[in-house]
Amino acid sequence: MSLIRQIWLLLGVTLFMAFVGSFGVWMASSRGYLETQLRLKNADNAQSLALSLSQQRGDLALMDLAVSAQFDTGFYQSIRLKDSAGKVMFSHDASDALGVARAPAWFVQLLPIQSEPGIAQVTDGWRALGSVEVVSHSSFAHDQLWQGSLKTASWLALLGALAAAVAAAGVRRIRRPLDATVNQAQALMERRFITVEEPNVPELARLSQAMNMVVTRLKSLFDEQAGQVEQLRQQAHCDALTGLSHRSHFMGQLHSTLVSDDGPTSGEVWLIRVSDLGGVNRALGHRQTDLLLQRLGKSIREVTQGIPGALIGRLNGGDFAVSLSEGLASLPQPEYMGDTLKRLFAEEGVNAFAVIGAVRWHRGVALGQILATADSALARAETKGGFTVELSQVSAGAKSVMGQDQWRDRLSQTLTQQRAQLVSYPVVDPAGELVHHECPMRLQLEPDGPYETAAHWLPMAVRCGLIAQLDGLAVQLALTAILKDGVERGVNLSPSSLTDSSFVPRLRAQLLASPVAARKLWLEVAEAAALDHFALVRELCKQLKPLGVRVGLEHAGERLTHIEFLFEAGLDYVKLDAAVVQGVAQDAARRAFVSGTTTMLHSLGLAVYAEGVSDQDDLQALWPCGVDGVTGPAVKQG
Amino acid sequence: MQVAVRRPLWLGLCCWMLALALLPCNALDRPRLTQSAQAMGPAAVQRTQALLREMELPTTDELEKVKAINQFYNRQIQYREDIDNWGAVDYWASPMELLQRGSGDCEDYAIAKYFSLIAMGLPPAKMRMVYVRAQTGGAIQAHMVLAYYPDTNAEPWILDNLITEIRPASRRPDLAPVFSFNAEGLWQGVGSASAGDPTARLSRWREVLSKAKSEGWW
Repeated sequence: MSLIRQIWLLLGVTLFMAFVGSFGVWMASSRGYLETQLRLKNADNAQSLALSLSQQRGDLALMDLAVSAQFDTGFYQSIRLKDSAGKVMFSHDASDALGVARAPAWFVQLLPIQSEPGIAQVTDGWRALGSVEVVSHSSFAHDQLWQGSLKTASWLALLGALAAAVAAAGVRRIRRPLDATVNQAQALMERRFITVEEPNVPELARLSQAMNMVVTRLKSLFDEQAGQVEQLRQQAHCDALTGLSHRSHFMGQLHSTLVSDDGPTSGEVWLIRVSDLGGVNRALGHRQTDLLLQRLGKSIREVTQGIPGALIGRLNGGDFAVSLSEGLASLPQPEYMGDTLKRLFAEEGVNAFAVIGAVRWHRGVALGQILATADSALARAETKGGFTVELSQVSAGAKSVMGQDQWRDRLSQTLTQQRAQLVSYPVVDPAGELVHHECPMRLQLEPDGPYETAAHWLPMAVRCGLIAQLDGLAVQLALTAILKDGVERGVNLSPSSLTDSSFVPRLRAQLLASPVAARKLWLEVAEAAALDHFALVRELCKQLKPLGVRVGLEHAGERLTHIEFLFEAGLDYVKLDAAVVQGVAQDAARRAFVSGTTTMLHSLGLAVYAEGVSDQDDLQALWPCGVDGVTGPAVKQG
Repeated sequence: MQVAVRRPLWLGLCCWMLALALLPCNALDRPRLTQSAQAMGPAAVQRTQALLREMELPTTDELEKVKAINQFYNRQIQYREDIDNWGAVDYWASPMELLQRGSGDCEDYAIAKYFSLIAMGLPPAKMRMVYVRAQTGGAIQAHMVLAYYPDTNAEPWILDNLITEIRPASRRPDLAPVFSFNAEGLWQGVGSASAGDPTARLSRWREVLSKAKSEGWW
């Protein structure tokens, strides 16, 4: 039995006993009092009646009259005169109709009040005439006891209610800190490492203090680990001078942007080159040149700030690259970048220039083609000199441009007709067992048309405000599929869906409707979304995890150590981005980073999976890093 | 006399029969009386010894017993007003208190005789305490005597301390009875709750009843 329930029971029993006890004691003493009063009245009245009867000189008629007078004007049950032998000489008895009792019969029967007769001797001179026996009516006593017990009971009930109210307040006071402590313990079990305010109750305060201390220690350990992992990341992915991604990491990131199912439909790549870096180096000196390059990196960062999915890399020497994805935010013009560079060089007083070769690409173009086009644009710009910007276009083919209204119509129709399917990519553990199927959704936008990946429709769905419904559809399809074959499935949720306030409640209702399937469902959101909307992700965990759903992050790795709430969100797993796991076989630094990240996440109780593994060597290199599972082209299905 | 006791039981006689059954009618509780006399004082012990000798009279005649007890108290106890004796205007002493003090007024005599006779086994219903108007010489005074009724309707014998020998009522023209009482109907109430019942102290008669009970007279 729960502690609170025990307290309630204890209070209840105590109150009840107090109630019954005081009522019983009151009843007994009142009854005793009334009986004593009746006895005294009987005795005294008998004595005075006997005294007056003794004065009647034995005249029976007179005596009868005197008794009648007393009986009729008083409140008596009976008055009897008996001779010395005990024979009744005359008797007056009250009829039942006289005492109209207000007390119910059962009450009278339950608590009878004895009206003990008063007896006194009657004489005529020396001659003993007999005795007179007086019994007062007890119905008034019953009435009084009845009224009194009603009144006492109601007062006691009122007091009992008051006591119960006070007890309720007291229990609530005890309960609040207790619940807080229990919740903390519960949270720790669910990998949400939260601290709570120490309650006022000393016993619980010590407990909370201890748990808070454990959490704080764990957190500092984690922070330490995170710091090490961040260092490893920089070593593995970054250019030492500018802190930007180095060439191979930038290429990996760009590649994963291009091939990812839910990547952007279009974007731009800028190549920025400081012309004649060797000359600058000679003119300014090594140190000043490094400083210039750092400032340059900083101003590129400033220009691209606030654009989701923007990638910056230092390719080599004075070559920088920027990748911008078309999304909700409008992209800055490359000319603006050029102007910024011009201003920077002027401020620094450097007699040199930089050029920009930009390329706008649409989905379907290969990485090599984009880079080649950008290179030729850069070459063109370089020939023109002086902060020139050259912009080229590459496209995979003719693409019909549709307005937003048309898109909305198409997507709505697709939704209502449910022209959607889930494709499956297995996630397997080291033993080759299936962990779950990663299930991105494909939509058949045109009747009888091909099923298109998210990259085709996701940005427009976000813009049309239909993404929450599409995510709901994906979850529904996954649940149906799970119910059919019982295989675990993962579905990714768009960050935009989370910002829709009705999405999570709807999702919850959906999952509640099929609780068995919900236990085999994995829901994931992108790392970037978790950073931008961590409160929403935490809410998602809080709402859905009790239903047995597993919640995790995908495309993670770059900024995991920046996610403060990783500690307290209660996530189940993390999927490392393809850009992070790519090339681990060759690069020891990358391996160290993956390994460090995995250790860190394991220490929080999170499972770690690697995404987009395309190389068999990488696959083999990942297992020693400790990952719990992998997915990607290198994984053989089945 | 035995016949009178064994009459069919009327409702009114119930209490008294019960009282009879409860009373130690046949066996005198000697140790109990001696004990309470010792608690009271040396004079009480001495007089109680004397009383016990009187009580062990080898006779079954009630009148003989009545005479013996009447004589014992009239000889042993000196008459004295309550105010001089107890310092109170009116004080009803228990038999043992009287035996210790050696003096008392009219109701003290009557009470002591009453309980002594009960202790000897006389049925309580045969005796009554009677308030009388006594004419002694020229003076008229309020007085109390004990009346013994050999039979329910018979003429009573009067146990008095003014005239020390017992006489039938008709031979006491100096006494005019006013009101009489005895313990009938009270035995139970007093007997069951002599100490705890608060009503016992409200009436002199009841108080003496409960004192006599604790002293072991009945």
